[in-house]
Amino acid sequence: MIDYLVAISIIVGIFAIFAIGLNLEWGFTGLINFGHVGFLAIGAYTTVLMNLSGAPIWLSMTSGVVLAGFFGLLVGIPTLRLREDYLAIVTIGFSEIVRLFLLNEEWLTRGPMGLFGFDRPFEAMIPFDYNYFLFILVFGSLAVIYLLVEKLVHSPWGRVLKSIREDEDVPAALGKDVFRYKIQALMIGSAIAGLAGAFLAFNMQYISPRNFIPMETFYAWIIVVLGGSARNKGTILGAIIVQSFYTGTRYLQDYVPLASHQMAALRIMVIGLLLVLLMMYKPQGLLGRKEELTLGQ
Amino acid sequence: MLQLIVNGIVLGSIIALAAIGLTMVYGVLNFANFSHADFMTFGAYIAFVLNVALGLNIILSFFIAVAIAGALGVFLDFLVWKPMRRKNADLVSLIIISIGLSLIVRNAIIFIWGGSTRNFDLPVQRGIEMLGITITHNQLTGLGTAILFMVLVHFFLKNTKMGKAMRAISDDINLARLSGIDSDKAIIWMWFIGIGLAAVAGILYGLETTIRPNMGWFLILPMFAAVILGGIGNPYGAMVGGMVIGLSQELSMLILPSEYKMGVSLGIMILVLLFKPRGLFGETKA
Repeated sequence: MIDYLVAISIIVGIFAIFAIGLNLEWGFTGLINFGHVGFLAIGAYTTVLMNLSGAPIWLSMTSGVVLAGFFGLLVGIPTLRLREDYLAIVTIGFSEIVRLFLLNEEWLTRGPMGLFGFDRPFEAMIPFDYNYFLFILVFGSLAVIYLLVEKLVHSPWGRVLKSIREDEDVPAALGKDVFRYKIQALMIGSAIAGLAGAFLAFNMQYISPRNFIPMETFYAWIIVVLGGSARNKGTILGAIIVQSFYTGTRYLQDYVPLASHQMAALRIMVIGLLLVLLMMYKPQGLLGRKEELTLGQ
Repeated sequence: MLQLIVNGIVLGSIIALAAIGLTMVYGVLNFANFSHADFMTFGAYIAFVLNVALGLNIILSFFIAVAIAGALGVFLDFLVWKPMRRKNADLVSLIIISIGLSLIVRNAIIFIWGGSTRNFDLPVQRGIEMLGITITHNQLTGLGTAILFMVLVHFFLKNTKMGKAMRAISDDINLARLSGIDSDKAIIWMWFIGIGLAAVAGILYGLETTIRPNMGWFLILPMFAAVILGGIGNPYGAMVGGMVIGLSQELSMLILPSEYKMGVSLGIMILVLLFKPRGLFGETKA
């Protein structure tokens, strides 16, 4: 039972990290990144491929994080000077190209067969069940990232981000280089997703392009929007609720007369519906502050 | 080469048709509707049910399915988009709602019909061979229908009162209201025509390939590329953009593995955003 809870919690922790990256972009800065999973994939594959070709695991992880951040820069350059919806369109395409690349460049990624047999941090040195260590590692990192992002968003830098979200003409009129702030937010958010990708690989000990379908992005979205955009506490709460929902509905499978593909479809329909209803009636989510996140309403 | 051009023109006409509705909504209501492509799929499945399960003939199934899809577009305006307009909601909330709707529509289709591919009940006919290339009857019918609908859209926009009203609200909705245009009525027409055309495109696409839950979703990127290339809000731009995108995707196979076709749309879109963000014929705000 404890082992099971630990295993579930690790997934919650990884999704919370992944979603905090998105919260920095969407919640605090108002950037619509519909391709967040692409950065998760870059982090995971870079970590694994570097390690498999002989690099120490810490160096591999760092490279994954840096490369994910760098791709944030590449995606941001053509899109962030223009209206906000261009980012949404380009990122969704970007994440699909990343997935297609992983699927088709078999010389590098082994395509649909996926990758395994890579190291995990300190694995040889841990005398007890590695999952307990991974639990500590993931939640330790979540705590560090949470504190760092909180510090960032409460700094003068973070206040500029929020003003960009509410009305970017205002910081621009005050002489702030809005484009640079947006790029920075996207890079940091993407790097955080890259870290989540490394943890995802450690947790599954196997990665394949199937783990990086567009739906993963929208799990992060519902986590952020449900918990309360621009509230990192809410994001963690959102990760717990969404994972409980996911696990719960899998148990429900045994009691309802639905095929497994129907259950999966129903689950995504519920998430879609929740996204619509929240944006229509409670855009600030569970823990968000209504007076802060106006979205023009 | 010639074969790729033919395939490109056929695919381009489908993207063009679907992109008309996308660009109209984008121009008038000012948001990128990510659920648009899933109504292509919706239209194809409704036509499939009418044609295969109820045994209606394909032409009748086609028109009923297009009407149902258009009506759903109008219904969703009353249910979702109109209340959001009343609240003066930010466009980012509309985009997120549209992605939620897209998840709902696509997965409702999977829930009801499963994930496997389907086909219309049509006699299998041999393609016409000439000059070393093959054109199937379905491709010819598809191309003919697509061109017919594009011509109809042209006459509607140029010659009818409602068409002119729609162009006016797309240019400047406030100015159009001031000059006495009933913008609510024009928006209803816009949804009916836009989603209806998406359904037309979906059915034609289903005729040429197969009907499957992801068929529309995989075209959303080429459609946005067509819209941005043609200039947001410009239906003629979207038609030309659709043709350009369709042709480039197919011709890209000369130099790229076919798996990366989608990358072509993304590449073109990024080039447009970098160098000509208002599109080729852009008159609207970027």
